Order: sequence, then C-alpha cells, then structure tokens
Amino acid sequence: MGHAESIWLVLISLTGAGAWLAESGHVGWPLTLTVAALIALKGRLVIDHYMELRWAPRRFRRALLAFVLIAAACAIVSHAVAKGM
Amino acid sequence: MTFESPLPFSALSVRKADASLISRRNDRLPGNAGIWVGIFCVLVEFLLLFGVYFIAKAHHREAFLSGPDKLATVAGVTITLLLLTSGYGMVKAVAAIRRNERRTAFGWVLSAMFFGLGYPLVKFFEIRWNIAHGIDGEAGIFYTVYYYLTLNHLVHVSWGLLGLCWVALRTYWGAYSARDYSGLEAAALYWHTTDVIWLVIFPLFYVLR
Repeated sequence: MGHAESIWLVLISLTGAGAWLAESGHVGWPLTLTVAALIALKGRLVIDHYMELRWAPRRFRRALLAFVLIAAACAIVSHAVAKGM
Repeated sequence: MTFESPLPFSALSVRKADASLISRRNDRLPGNAGIWVGIFCVLVEFLLLFGVYFIAKAHHREAFLSGPDKLATVAGVTITLLLLTSGYGMVKAVAAIRRNERRTAFGWVLSAMFFGLGYPLVKFFEIRWNIAHGIDGEAGIFYTVYYYLTLNHLVHVSWGLLGLCWVALRTYWGAYSARDYSGLEAAALYWHTTDVIWLVIFPLFYVLR
C-alpha cells in the first residue's frame, strides 16, 4: 500500500469513527473533545499529505492549520459557553 | 541529475534547470499565486460562517443539542467519503503528471470528478429527504445555519468541480507535463480546500450535540 492509500485509509477510518459517534447518542464534553480532536487530526492529514503543505513555505501550512485549529477550539468554547461555564 | 525528492511519492529525476522548483524543503509553493488568493478568501469566508454557527450555538443550546438527531447522518458520512476519495484521486493525478504519465493523470482526474459529482447528487436527495420530514430553512435556528453553511459549501464545491472539468480537458489535450503542471496542482489544491472545510462542517451539523 502506498503513502496516498495509507492516508486515504486513515481518513476513511476516522470518518467511520465520526459516524459511529454521531449515532452513538453520546453528548457532552467527551463527544465535544473527541470531535475537536477529529477535526484537527483529519484537517492536518489533508493539509500535510493531500495538499503537500509539509513542503510549502511555513506560513501557508500554518494558515491552513490555524483554520482547522480555530474551528476545533471554537467547538470547545461554544460548548463551554452553551453549558454556562 | 537526481535530487532527493521532498515529495511523498517516488523519487523524481529532474534536470538541473528544474531543481530550483523542488530542491529546497519549505520553499516550494504548490499550485500558483492566483489559487492561493482564492483559497484564503474561501477560508476567511468560512471562518466567518463558522463564527455564525458558534455564536448561534452558544445562544440556542437546546436547538443545537437536538438538531443533528433529525438530519440524515448517512448523507453527511457519504459526502465525506466521496470528498476524501475524490481528493485521493487528485493526489494520484498530480503524482502521475509528475512522472509525465498524462493518460494516467487524466484517468485519475476523471475518477476525482466521478466521486466529486456524487456530492451534489447526495445533497439533492438529502434536501429532498429533509423537506419531506419538515426540515426547511424555517424549521429552527439550527437548520437555518445548517442550510446557510452547507449550501454555501455546495456552491464552492461546484466551482471546484468546474475546475476539475477544465483541468481534465487540459490534461487530455496534453497541456500539462512533468515540467509544467501548476494548473492541475492548483485545481487539486482548491479541491482539497473544500475537503478541509467539509471536514469541519460535517461534525458541526451531524455529530456534535
């Protein structure tokens, strides 16, 4: 199995994990933190391996990573705010 | 003359004249400047839209807690699988053109288009299913934001699909080679960007409670 195939398989597996979470009935902090981790991990895999930004000027990779990390962080913060914490 | 490839594919043999393109790590910008302007505009746009989602969620906890229950998770999962598989096709297309294998690259772009076209098809049936179950844009704040973000994403995917059509034709016409493939790579980058954005949208609407 080549590199691209391995990355594709990992991304598909993580999507399967997300689908299971969606149907599992989980709510609250464990779900929120897991989803935030999945967003960051899947985003990083696409950015580094599909877009090949590992080899691009650093600020481009950082900008893309910032996008997924901000989204993941907002998921956590909005959950905290919604729970009145 | 052979250089160590900075790319995660097989080692490239390049002429000395091409070495400046790929010889230094962290110094090669994939695609072209124009596509990066577009990519950053799209990212800023969706960051603002995510801001709308998070502010709405913070103020309407119950609506966002129960909202995902009524959506068809299978549609969101299928779209994710289609986009990831389509993106894989574009990775292979770029790898093929680097080897100067134009017919192989063309085949992979067609493959990416095939899976990518599944997205609007699934979206069509998802929206039809939604409407049949009373989930329209006025069904509540969660669904208003859901339609706002997902339809906006669909528009950007449509641009991406048009881009794939264009680079498929260009690849078929022999416009790209191992020495010049920035156009094909630019289309792939935009396509992967829509993928990155969807990887955020999917859990926000179908998974998070």
